[in-house]
Amino acid sequence: MLRIEDLTVAYGDIVALHGVSLEVAAGETVALIGANGAGKTTLLQTVSGLNKLRSGRMEFGGASLAPLSSADRVRAGIAQAPEGRRIFPGLSVEENLVVATSSWRRLGKSYADDLAQVFDLFPRLKERRRQLGWSLSGGEQQMLAIGRALMSRPKLLLLDEPSLGLAPRLAEEVYDRVGRIRETGLTILVVEQNTVLALAVANRGYVLETGRVVLAGSADELRRSERVREAYLGR
Amino acid sequence: MADLIQLLTNGLALGSVYALAAIGFVIVYSATGVVNFAAGQFVMLGTFAGVAMLLNAGLPMPVGYAAALIAMALFGALFYLVVYLPLRTSPVVTVIIGTVAIGITLQNAALLTFGSWPFRLPSPFEGMMIEVAGAVVSVHALAVVATTAVMIFLLWLLLHRTAIGIAMRAVAQDVKAARLMGLRVQWLLAFSWILGAVLAGVAGLMLGPMWFADVNMGDPIALKAFAATVIGGFGSLPGAIAGGLFVGLAEVLGASYISSAYKDLIAFGIMILFLLVRPQGIFGEPIQDRG
Ligand SMILES: Nc1ncnc2c1ncn2[C@@H]1O[C@H](COP(=O)(O)OP(=O)(O)OP(=O)(O)O)[C@@H](O)[C@H]1O
Ligand SMILES: [Mg+2]
Repeated sequence: MLRIEDLTVAYGDIVALHGVSLEVAAGETVALIGANGAGKTTLLQTVSGLNKLRSGRMEFGGASLAPLSSADRVRAGIAQAPEGRRIFPGLSVEENLVVATSSWRRLGKSYADDLAQVFDLFPRLKERRRQLGWSLSGGEQQMLAIGRALMSRPKLLLLDEPSLGLAPRLAEEVYDRVGRIRETGLTILVVEQNTVLALAVANRGYVLETGRVVLAGSADELRRSERVREAYLGR
Repeated sequence: MADLIQLLTNGLALGSVYALAAIGFVIVYSATGVVNFAAGQFVMLGTFAGVAMLLNAGLPMPVGYAAALIAMALFGALFYLVVYLPLRTSPVVTVIIGTVAIGITLQNAALLTFGSWPFRLPSPFEGMMIEVAGAVVSVHALAVVATTAVMIFLLWLLLHRTAIGIAMRAVAQDVKAARLMGLRVQWLLAFSWILGAVLAGVAGLMLGPMWFADVNMGDPIALKAFAATVIGGFGSLPGAIAGGLFVGLAEVLGASYISSAYKDLIAFGIMILFLLVRPQGIFGEPIQDRG
């Protein structure tokens, strides 16, 4: 579904990704793990069209992503729950969700089903639907960020460190929901530093170090690999 | 007492004009981050759009007003295309300097087109007076206050009850997240400029009959609108309303009770006091970073 070939991205002189290649097949959940500054966020932002690529190719559903603006990529089916949630602070929970549906659905107010599905997955958001974004707890904001991404009816969901800054119990709760989204058949690419959680939900994974893919394999293989155990699992 | 009622009415009417100018300024600022130093010239242009349509072209009132506002909407779109769009990737300071340059250009263009002789823009309520609690007040002043109240209500509906308005607020709060949610950010920013220009146009059409239509009227309005946003709270819409009314009242009451020579000083004195004591203004949203 998503194919990235030899992707190089730089911020001025700082090269954040050096020839990264990876692939996500339809229906898969793929984890991209790596330490601080490895380039994980850069990769997701480039897929969503926020960063220019220096070289390389990105394809989605067989077609090149190059000509598509970030708004077009959302319409093509790529949605993202970004790093740090980036909830709209002055919009209510419901407005945060509604603003992320496609414009014709917003105009015709025919987003009720999508809203109901998100509230079904995250009942706490329903209780807080009139509350403003900034007033939510970190865990609720993460749930809202994921729910908001789902409102565009994506084919591919990009999650950037959904466990960031959450207490372990809340991080597990968020990943429990990611698991449920996966059960619906949605294709997911999840970026994480929390290797245990990410590999538990993923079929496959890639390890990114200073802008290069250094390891790839099934979730089991990665869990057993020396390199991952030493660097990311702390044993 | 009768005097006071008259002064309060005139102060509120003038304050309504400042409030609309300030709202237009705040909408552009919160959407694009650009402090539009041409905002006062936008209002001047609104007045002269009225002069062009009603006096020069001789259109009847409602048609002339509509034509003037359509011209202002086109001007907002043009400003977005010619000034904002080419400069949008440069530092915001460059865009701000651009607005200063355009402001001066607009003023000179108006001077060349209309000359330095002031015009008298008619009001639909020309010369009409009404008695309120023993005081004789101008119907135009009351209509200005009423029109402003209706505009503010419509604006609130737009921003809170329509798809495009909610999207505009989202863009103002976090452009990057708005892009990731598939919002057509550039269209929404263009719409913010258009809305800002139309609001300035309404302000200009209402101000025309209260002042003389003079090509140099933009600068004092820009200063008052700016003072209004500082006093109300920079970037806050309720603040722009409260600040605008406050500056208008201070100006009219100050001119009458203290001295007309000091009327501007009072508003600016209070603005400076706010900057020193309460820089976040009345509606103190502590200054926050744009995402
Ligand atoms: N806007 C930017 N300007 C300049 N350099 C940047 C920018 N964003 C990221 N970088 C650099 O690019 C590299 C990769 O950053 P990125 O944010 O993609 O890493 P990450 O894997 O997401 O890290 P984290 O786990 O901390 O979120 C880092 O060296 C970072 O300093
Ligand atoms: Mg990151």
